[in-house]
Amino acid sequence: MRMNKLVTALVAAGAMVAAGPGLAQDIKLGVVAGMSGPGTSYGIGIRQGAEMAVKEINAAGGIKGRKISLVVVDDASNPAQSVSAMQRLVSDGVDLVVGGWGSSQVLANMEVAERAGLPYIVVGATNPKITTDKNKWTYRVIFTDSVQAEQIAEAAVKRLGMKRIAVIHDANDYGVGNRDIFLASLKKLGVEPVVVVPYQTADKDFTAQLTRIREANPDGLAIFGTIPAAPAIMNQARDLGIKARFIGTGGLANENLMTLAPKASEGTVLTTYFHEDVDPEARAWADRYVKEFSGGSQPPRPVLAAWEYRAIKYIAAPCLEQAGTDKEKLRQCFANWKGKLFSVPGEAYFDKTGQLIQQSVLVEVGNGNFQAFKGK
Amino acid sequence: MFGQLVIGGFATGCIYAVVGLGFTLVYRTLRMVNFAQGHVFMAGTFLGLVIAERMHLPALPLLLVVGAVAFGLGMVLERFVFRRLYHNHEVFIVGSIGLGIVLMNGVRVFFPEPVPFPKVFGSEVVQIGTARFQEAYLWVVAATLILVVLLHAMFTYTRTGRALRAVAADAEIAGAVGVNVKRAIGLTFGLSFAVAAIAGVLIGPLYFVSFDMGDMVGLKAFSAAVFGGINSIPGTILGGIVIGILENLAGGYISSAYKDLVAFVILLLMLIWRPTGLLGRETPVKV
Repeated sequence: MRMNKLVTALVAAGAMVAAGPGLAQDIKLGVVAGMSGPGTSYGIGIRQGAEMAVKEINAAGGIKGRKISLVVVDDASNPAQSVSAMQRLVSDGVDLVVGGWGSSQVLANMEVAERAGLPYIVVGATNPKITTDKNKWTYRVIFTDSVQAEQIAEAAVKRLGMKRIAVIHDANDYGVGNRDIFLASLKKLGVEPVVVVPYQTADKDFTAQLTRIREANPDGLAIFGTIPAAPAIMNQARDLGIKARFIGTGGLANENLMTLAPKASEGTVLTTYFHEDVDPEARAWADRYVKEFSGGSQPPRPVLAAWEYRAIKYIAAPCLEQAGTDKEKLRQCFANWKGKLFSVPGEAYFDKTGQLIQQSVLVEVGNGNFQAFKGK
Repeated sequence: MFGQLVIGGFATGCIYAVVGLGFTLVYRTLRMVNFAQGHVFMAGTFLGLVIAERMHLPALPLLLVVGAVAFGLGMVLERFVFRRLYHNHEVFIVGSIGLGIVLMNGVRVFFPEPVPFPKVFGSEVVQIGTARFQEAYLWVVAATLILVVLLHAMFTYTRTGRALRAVAADAEIAGAVGVNVKRAIGLTFGLSFAVAAIAGVLIGPLYFVSFDMGDMVGLKAFSAAVFGGINSIPGTILGGIVIGILENLAGGYISSAYKDLVAFVILLLMLIWRPTGLLGRETPVKV
């Protein structure tokens, strides 16, 4: 197994370092995400991105001669377990955490990192409440619901010409956060939604909600939720005869969407966090990533892997190089970070709340793939 | 809209009913509740998934094979686990909850994320009036009907069925007149596993299947059994269908975020009014 090889390599490298001059200890990098439960397909991507970045950094000699060792904890995509997962990372003495999937989980586990004074870069949660003026140790690299929901509202009205928009959303922090900003943006554009209905994350049968949506006869259906609910909604909507085009935000940006709803997801327009066709560097990375992780028990899932990889390679690693493992210095280094990331047009930087400011990417599902959106 | 909600609720209700039958069968015999039932249903779905993918069986043989394998597993688990637990209700409850968690996490090791189930019951969409649904719904309803008729026939007309009823009525006396009580209890667990697994295969193609799908269905199925009268087979079927339809109507007309709440409040009111359930009978207390 690849993980085993990695561990062996790390152990061997560690032994060499220990035998060499001085006693350079490994830098411990914690990763928390849902590697089972509904978030699995996102969490696995995060883990793969971390493995790839750390492997490359260590192969190139590590950080000032110190290797990075990964401590990966599965929070089962559950907010309560996410708290204990973060506590485990704290008691394991990790130097920083890069990861986190799901707004409800991150809102819960960031409290632990904040209390412990542990630098934490969030890669997979988008609720605006994560980066406010209250968080001191938590930074976030993917853009928030407010950026995404606003952008998709504008695209729906101006570029897709939707007039009767229905909304179905998860009743969790992610879904409600998106809904509120989406509805406010629609209002600014002078459009009233025809119907807004919630569902619960664990729901399997959406007949009740979709029947109401069908009554409203929409031409666009915004889905603010994650996998597996979102593709289930798409399948069941088509079964019920709803012809509206689907739109959504980053919750849909997962290759599993096309596996679980191969026909129904076709034509869906959504905002995403990464697309390989934005620049040649992104394409080169994606090819390398897919090659490295194909053939395993889990298929490669580049979207969040790209964020985890970039957060470690371009933000965490240079800061560790510059500030070492002193937590306060590390935090300040994040705050002042400014730079170029592949697949992100222009320069990115953290604002006062710890949010990475950047432009987002719009894609469309076509032939079972995410393609750069070419609409008007 | 009404027709769509009722048809969808009816099909889901049938699933609650069939899983609920497992609770009823065990309860009638032992006066105990097997809280692993929901997870047995989930495990049955995955058993069906593996068999369907490996052996490419069509619908009917698939249901029969899964039912038979689950029946065997139920007998085996009864022999080695449940038999050591049912001497005491508290021990049995905790034991069955534990077994459920073991089943759930056992499946989680192999299937950490939701997967699609092969469309063994077809993927055509049927239209009745304005209501549209997958043809798999028809299988759910038909299979429920057939299961109920078969169970009824078994309990009424076969020697084994009568033996099970005798044990249900009074295990001690049944034993005294020559019924093999241990075997009867083993058969009961076999049957309860078989119906839950069949329900799992029926619902699989309608949704994606995941290791945590047994939680809510188990709870609803248990409620169905209590709602209809936990010692009554027709009561459990009725209870399942009523809950399925109620929650869908509540979701469509009142609030889809609180559809479970609405359904369970109605359930609560109903139990205050009729504590033994719709068709349940008071269990006489032995002195």
